[in-house]
Amino acid sequence: MRALCWEGVRKLAVRDVPEPSIRAARDIIVKVRASSVCGSDLHLINGFLPAMREGDILGHEFMGEVVETGPDVQRLKVGDRVVVGSVVACGGCWYCRTEQYSLCDNSNPQPVFTEKLWGHAPAGILGYSHAAGGYAGSHAEYIRVPFGDVGAFTVPDGVPDDSVVFASDAMPTGWMAADFCGLKGGEVVAVWGAGGVGQMAARAAQILGAERVVVIDRLPERLRTAADRLGVETINYAETDVLEALREMTAGRGPDACIEAVGMESHDVGPVYAYDKAKQTARLTTDRPTSVRQAIMACRKGGTVSIVGVYGGLVDKFPLGAAMNKALVLRMGQMHAQRYIPMLLDRIAIGEIDPGYLATHPMSLEDGARGYEIFEKKEDGCLRTVLHPQPA
Amino acid sequence: MTSNTTRWALAGAATVTVLGAGRVMARRRRRHQPERKDGWYVVHRGITVDRPVDAVIGFWTDRERLDRGLAEWATLEQLDDTRWRCVAGDPAGGGTEWRAEITVDGPGRLSWRVTDGPVAQQGRVELVPAPQDRGTEIRAELRWRSGPVRRALGLTTGTDPDLGLRDALRRIKSLIEAGQMIETRHDPSGRSPEQEEATDKMREKLATGGRP
Repeated sequence: MRALCWEGVRKLAVRDVPEPSIRAARDIIVKVRASSVCGSDLHLINGFLPAMREGDILGHEFMGEVVETGPDVQRLKVGDRVVVGSVVACGGCWYCRTEQYSLCDNSNPQPVFTEKLWGHAPAGILGYSHAAGGYAGSHAEYIRVPFGDVGAFTVPDGVPDDSVVFASDAMPTGWMAADFCGLKGGEVVAVWGAGGVGQMAARAAQILGAERVVVIDRLPERLRTAADRLGVETINYAETDVLEALREMTAGRGPDACIEAVGMESHDVGPVYAYDKAKQTARLTTDRPTSVRQAIMACRKGGTVSIVGVYGGLVDKFPLGAAMNKALVLRMGQMHAQRYIPMLLDRIAIGEIDPGYLATHPMSLEDGARGYEIFEKKEDGCLRTVLHPQPA
Repeated sequence: MTSNTTRWALAGAATVTVLGAGRVMARRRRRHQPERKDGWYVVHRGITVDRPVDAVIGFWTDRERLDRGLAEWATLEQLDDTRWRCVAGDPAGGGTEWRAEITVDGPGRLSWRVTDGPVAQQGRVELVPAPQDRGTEIRAELRWRSGPVRRALGLTTGTDPDLGLRDALRRIKSLIEAGQMIETRHDPSGRSPEQEEATDKMREKLATGGRP
């Protein structure tokens, strides 16, 4: 079959690879119909998470059709149209039992890397390097999904592939970001990043009761899309002093909750950003936390900072003093896909959330490398490239 | 004359630095070494399984499930009511075989002794209810010896049986909780056979001795 493989830092190519097969009784094989690029893939492609091997298949946000099931799979059958959570979870450990699926104890077969780096190994993630278990990804015609009954969910009829694909990762990540904020109704929520996850977080915050949602980015077209689609307020940080603007909008209080949906290759303007970028390029630090710093500084006293942008290692100049003295609540984590997906599919089915507009650039798998380039450089108003591995 | 003095001073400083660094490294190494007791290396390792003690015991006594779980690396043979014989291959390959005698010491307690293997080894396992409804703590103590020659040459770092123990605990936990061990070794990739072999070696390193 054809698959989009990582061939080295900033090098992708479509290769002929063997087809996956059922390896364990709870596996399923999914014929991939839509597989989205994700901002966190860029950290892997660009070599900031150094656990990729030449030939690894990328992709973790996808949907498709079940074509084979292992003997212990009960909830799914061949022919089911499913969306699959990016995070692999066994369904049987304490973390899974308490719906903290991205912390699953049994789904990372290669736990030594993250155990050394982070103290413990969280769950495996499909197509997400050897730190996350070394699973083959979804930018391929077929993918093996372990624990199929736990990770794959049948999709309501009538919802297009390119819409429901975002229930795999961008939507649950955004929803969890808003969920972390503990909204009770009437809050002001600021969201850093107007990409797929940021926009879904903004929509989730609205549904969960926020009175005002402010989205921050530097790309006018993304901000315009967010304003048009979701009715949020926007700040362009390239033109406006974000901290001043947020303070002004909230009459001095600051947002009640700040969501960071950017991650370790965050952008900013000014000399501190240039310094961070130089250090990161020289691998003297692993992560650029520009937007996290800003979120902490902007957040009201006693408010919540919710981080769902991906970070991998160490950051510089983390304003711990601000967080401590303002008594902030910091919440963060990889999303617990399996906990949110069924609820999100219901909301898509009744039209409460329509993520389809994120798929600005549908493409064939063969154009995958170009698809990532457009996505990374945000060319042509690209929000998300969605790859279609099946021949038309 | 001055340059000679400088040279001696530099050589002295270098020696002191090397010795100092050596001492620090030796201390670090010792900190990672297993405890020594009566000529044995001793390590204690534990893992928490999200099932009540009875269910964990049930796993051990359910012959069919146990055989399925052990299939790839060990066989069990019952000798009498409380004693079993276990024959296991070396998980790292190499054709080494271990024979061990396992004795059930009481409810939730068993011990084993390697009767035939490259390293003298014995251990015991105790099952303790975990606090806060967290299931069962499997607590294991492992003791092993290594030959005097290897020890004198410093060839024994003494960590290998420990890694094996950690792997075994992780495997047991996964089999009880998830019904299987997850494996990604045969997932497709765009690698050549040589690259795949190198990647498998790396996978082995990232898999060995890890804990959840």
